Amino acid sequence: MRGAANTLKYLLLAAALAYPLMPFRDIYVLHVLVLIMVYMVLAMGLNILPGFCGLLDLGFVGFYGIGAYTAGLLTVQYNMSFWLIVPLAVINGALFGMLLGAPTLRLVGDYFAIVTFGFSELVVLFLTNEIWLTRGPLGIPGIAPISLDVTWLAALLGIDERWRYVFRGEMPYYYLAMVMVSLVYLVMRRVEDSRLGRAWLAIREDPMAAASCGVNLFAYKVIAFAVSTGIGALAGAFLARWTQFLSPDMFKFWESFLVLCMVVLGGLGNIKGALVGSVILIALGEVLRVILPKLGLPAETRFLVYGLIMVLIMRFRPNGIFTQVAESTMQSQLIKDLRARLDARRTA
Amino acid sequence: MLEQQLVNGFTLGLIYALIAVGYTMVYGVIELINFAHGEIYMLGAFLTLSFISLGLPLPVAVLLAMLAAAAIGVLLDIVAYRPLREAPRLAALITAIGMSIFLQNLAMIIWGSRPLPFPKQAIPAFFNEPALTFSDVTISWMQVIIYAVAVALMVGLNLIITKTRVGTAMRALAQNQTAAALMGINVNRVITFTFALGSAMGAMAGIMVSMYYNTMYPTMGYLAGVKAFAAAVLGGIGSVPGAMLGGVVLGIAETLGAGYISSPYRDGVAYAVMILVIIFRPSGLLGRAVTDKA
Repeated sequence: MRGAANTLKYLLLAAALAYPLMPFRDIYVLHVLVLIMVYMVLAMGLNILPGFCGLLDLGFVGFYGIGAYTAGLLTVQYNMSFWLIVPLAVINGALFGMLLGAPTLRLVGDYFAIVTFGFSELVVLFLTNEIWLTRGPLGIPGIAPISLDVTWLAALLGIDERWRYVFRGEMPYYYLAMVMVSLVYLVMRRVEDSRLGRAWLAIREDPMAAASCGVNLFAYKVIAFAVSTGIGALAGAFLARWTQFLSPDMFKFWESFLVLCMVVLGGLGNIKGALVGSVILIALGEVLRVILPKLGLPAETRFLVYGLIMVLIMRFRPNGIFTQVAESTMQSQLIKDLRARLDARRTA
Repeated sequence: MLEQQLVNGFTLGLIYALIAVGYTMVYGVIELINFAHGEIYMLGAFLTLSFISLGLPLPVAVLLAMLAAAAIGVLLDIVAYRPLREAPRLAALITAIGMSIFLQNLAMIIWGSRPLPFPKQAIPAFFNEPALTFSDVTISWMQVIIYAVAVALMVGLNLIITKTRVGTAMRALAQNQTAAALMGINVNRVITFTFALGSAMGAMAGIMVSMYYNTMYPTMGYLAGVKAFAAAVLGGIGSVPGAMLGGVVLGIAETLGAGYISSPYRDGVAYAVMILVIIFRPSGLLGRAVTDKA
């Protein structure tokens, strides 16, 4: 069973790698695949707060927007290189994250959710109204694409003329997105098993116990916020150069909700789950986009289905669809250890 | 100018207060931010529209819409929230957002996504005429009606909460659910009643807003809901008088902010108030001190 799942995984990966090279590749499908990868990065980034730390962040889209606008404006105004813009956007996102995070991290539960939500709404208001900077509702058109035309590489390698398209246009983006997803995934996997990740899990399960075992709640939460918002900004920076257009409408609350749906669908705290959730919900969105107009309904009503899915998952699988038992026992083992240490300290 | 803005802000504030009591009562008894409450407000307006187009007179349509909204609120609790009473709070909050999005899009399918005017023939002509005029301040009949209805509903609500058995049960539940259940209170029935009461008041707010501005649209509940929630937080979530006070203060702050600071940021006032209050005074103006329950 496990072997079959692994085989399937590698087959899918191989198919994803090879698809753009196939003669039957389709620009629309490629676009959707890149979009899925952007959401994968977003979902992995958001996952840190509600998934690892148990803090419901409803304002993730604000940092996605900050990253996208940072990248878009730096491109349009200063024609800066993408490779310089990405770290700047990530740093900017992380800075805003810490700016919001520091005063709010002592809040818990609903209050934390509401403050993050309010912050993201303020970001949208800012993007809409500060016309001198963002052109407001008109948005920012004509953001130069990433200069990824590597046809010279093809010439250097002596690759046949018929295969040169791989090095132009959408293809490099596709592979760059893959690299981005892989990098974030690897980082998250490493973090999950590190001291940092364990501290986060401890905070999620029992902040008091974690604190009394010497976990600095504030520091670890601020780090969580910075990493999470930095990854959100990374996805935004990529998006800006991929769509070549930005407007405040792209960063409304529904986007936060959609990403949250992906994370919850895959199982809070489950990194692979976030990836699967992104594939499912974006694919579902595209399918609905085609089907709904045929039923005479406006395409926006796909949110009706999203909303319903969310309610049903919470009702029947509050821990998400793909949460594996093994993982949760691993976590509860961690909690047992923490509790034991706490008890030992109390009796001492 | 200032006086006129105070009058307009007060009108808006009473509307927010009517919605905010729904948030605060539900929060008081089950500690859930009912994100779908803004959609009940929106449905109040659209249901009135539909009842009027069936040929019913305005008062009957309004009453039926309030009853229907109360029923929807109760249904919402039974279908979506009740199964999650013992589940993690995160799950209930996400469900509430899911229901909000579901209801909003359902309204879009039923009534279309474009704004609709409130049926003109149903509104008596004198509503938009000035009722009172002091030098340069005008109060229209519509505003007078909003004041009268809002004040009547809130006084009624306070009487229910303080004088009736079910009101006592509500307060008991807000104090300690287990102890209340042990004293023989039917917890689910009281929660049902809370949802019905809050939803009916929210629907009335939606109806009056759609008459006041002569427009309604399926997404109107979103912003109004957020602002009313901000009002509830400002007043101290869980406190009914706090929600009323918070609504009025927020309505006036928003109108003055739009008039004297920056009109594009009028919606930002609510967000800023919400964030600042939560950070610096989470118990709000009239709330009890919030204990860390995490």
